[in-house]
Amino acid sequence: MLTLALRSLRHRATAMTATFVAILLGTAVMGSFTPLIQVALEPGTPSAERETLLILGGVVGAWGTVIALFSIVSTVGVTVRQREVEIGLLRTVGAEPRQVRALVRAETLLVALVAAVLGAAVASLTSRALLDLLQSGGVVSEQVAHSGGLTALAATVVLLLLVSLTAAGMAGSRASRGPATVVLSEARTGTGRLAWWRWVVAAVAVGLASSSVAMTMATGKDAADPSEAMAMTGSLGLVVAVGLAALAPLLLRAGSWVLRPLLGGTSGHLAAYNTSRRSHLLAGVLAPVMVLSAASVSILMLVGIDERTLPTGLPPEVVEGFETANLLNNVVTAMICAFAAIMVVNAFAALLADRRLELYRLRLLGATPGQVRGSILAEAGVVAAVGTVIGLLAAQATIVPFAYVRGEGLVPDAQLWLPPVLVAGAVALTLVSAAGATSRALRTTSGAR
Amino acid sequence: MTTPALEVTGLTRTYGTGAAAVAALNGLDLVCAPGTFTAVMGPSGSGKSTFLTCAGALEQPTGGRVVIAGQDVTELTEARRTRLRRERIGFVFQGFHLLPYLTAEQNVALPLRLAGGRIDAAARPRIRELLDRVGLGDRTGHLPAQLSGGQQQRVAIARALATGPDIILADEPTGALDSHTAASVLALLRSLVRELGATVVMVTHDPVAAAYADSVVFLVDGRAVGRMENPAAEAVAGQMAHLDELTARTEQELV
Ligand SMILES: Nc1ncnc2c1ncn2[C@@H]1O[C@H](COP(=O)(O)OP(=O)(O)O)[C@@H](O)[C@H]1O
Ligand SMILES: [Mg+2]
Repeated sequence: MLTLALRSLRHRATAMTATFVAILLGTAVMGSFTPLIQVALEPGTPSAERETLLILGGVVGAWGTVIALFSIVSTVGVTVRQREVEIGLLRTVGAEPRQVRALVRAETLLVALVAAVLGAAVASLTSRALLDLLQSGGVVSEQVAHSGGLTALAATVVLLLLVSLTAAGMAGSRASRGPATVVLSEARTGTGRLAWWRWVVAAVAVGLASSSVAMTMATGKDAADPSEAMAMTGSLGLVVAVGLAALAPLLLRAGSWVLRPLLGGTSGHLAAYNTSRRSHLLAGVLAPVMVLSAASVSILMLVGIDERTLPTGLPPEVVEGFETANLLNNVVTAMICAFAAIMVVNAFAALLADRRLELYRLRLLGATPGQVRGSILAEAGVVAAVGTVIGLLAAQATIVPFAYVRGEGLVPDAQLWLPPVLVAGAVALTLVSAAGATSRALRTTSGAR
Repeated sequence: MTTPALEVTGLTRTYGTGAAAVAALNGLDLVCAPGTFTAVMGPSGSGKSTFLTCAGALEQPTGGRVVIAGQDVTELTEARRTRLRRERIGFVFQGFHLLPYLTAEQNVALPLRLAGGRIDAAARPRIRELLDRVGLGDRTGHLPAQLSGGQQQRVAIARALATGPDIILADEPTGALDSHTAASVLALLRSLVRELGATVVMVTHDPVAAAYADSVVFLVDGRAVGRMENPAAEAVAGQMAHLDELTARTEQELV
């Protein structure tokens, strides 16, 4: 199984790069924070600093795990899904579903091991830099010394490996289900019904968020602790976006239908049908675009509102608590955005690497490179439009109740320029990564025959 | 004399350089009159696929000329060749090469779209007619995944006809089909030549398939070594066996 996995890895270098990058980044980011927990627990650390360090390490570590899981599941899923033909072949020559799952796990584990260890090496440096930063910012006192955090780093590596194995298990069982026939993955259309669990995830997320929004708006204004509203609403935008991401194929189909009148020309025509009939492929790109826009807009607006409306005359330790909270908010946002951005780039690269044959086919039929590029860019445009619109809507679950509770009404008083700027960033990222991936795919199409 | 649909003179194509150079085509001459069905046969590695990519203006030959309906394609820029390819050449491939997310009708219309953009009221009945012609009038809204192999190849043939090309180039069009389905696809190709006056050049290794053509050209080592008019399957098979023997002997001499 290991030799087969190694061979298969060599052949799938591009697709596996996506998994590699996701795991490397996951370990590096989490590994920058988890040593703070270890530092907090050192006997020499003053107890006042202990709490701050535990919160920083714990909150970011927990968020990091969730985000890493999300991004690794999605990249491993894309990689495995693109190999349906190969997996179908393996199964027709007698591989049992169990063996297919073992192959996927072995491959992922090999990649994850290298990526996680490298990520930990990076983290051993960035973690020190982070503590220096916290100390120079006055969040943590200068007395605290970094202890290296080897135990914490080792634990992070193990955690990431477990996360990767879980992701591989999920993807492998999906790929090995059903009859053992070779189904050309490109021929699969995405107009089928969504799995029931997607509806459950979406319903639970939206339900939880709307009840929290209602509760905050009803009671939040009278709450004694001004930080309560932030704790209640901070993550709602993200929760809604992740929940709706489960419905990404459906949203993409609906969005492409709405946008169809705008999709003129040959390229637009191709993009319209590709986004609606193969929504399951592009959904892998749509989900991170939604999460990226929702997270960046909701949390940056939240921090802005908080800084404008923080009541004056609070005791200094409370103010310091708010500063730590906003630092955390910014760090978590940066982390989520970095991951989501990498997922967008990854997903396009993996998708187009596997669509080389299709692009070559278009060229054979007489499409110019410009027409091919245009059709992929139009697809990316649909994804960007749907993703940012839904991301913006999801962000309102954080912004509206928080602005209301802090007395700014339903619409925040300032920084209204921020969402368009962030949206423009997300759109640009989507288009640029699509253009880059297309150029790479077109360069190699001549050899795809 | 009428202008040939395809005229190939002294065509050479060399892969690699120096000692590792392989001459896939080595001075190939071939003429196909309009309204004819020509099969190109030869042992594996004899240069059949290379011939088709050069004749189809997909690849530049190393030397020689390819003239399609009076237009020398070897002297065109890549952009002009792309345009010529989609307007004057129809391709049919072993692997069908349909776009998975377009219906049969949309796949057939694609070359027209790529060439001009909109599908107007005049084009639509023509596309329907083509699909009717290949026997898929009742499957126009189906996606490739919902069609059998034979049906997909029929869609590909209708697509190849969409722009009213001067020539249709087919590379092993029945290679992925069972013999029964293959027979009906070949009969379709022949009827397009007989009834619509299309010109078809088909690369194949199957003597039965070649027997559907008006003439068979035999290729060995990148050169035409013989031609058979009104071929019968047995005669073609006999000739092929002879050619295989010939190449086996030259290989032995080389060793
Ligand atoms: N891209 C290529 N690079 C190097 N050699 C090639 C290439 N394509 C074909 N050849 C060589 O050219 C010869 C003819 O190939 P081909 O046209 O595919 O033959 P056929 O289709 O008759 O089997 C073979 O010896 C093959 O190895
Ligand atoms: Mg060949």
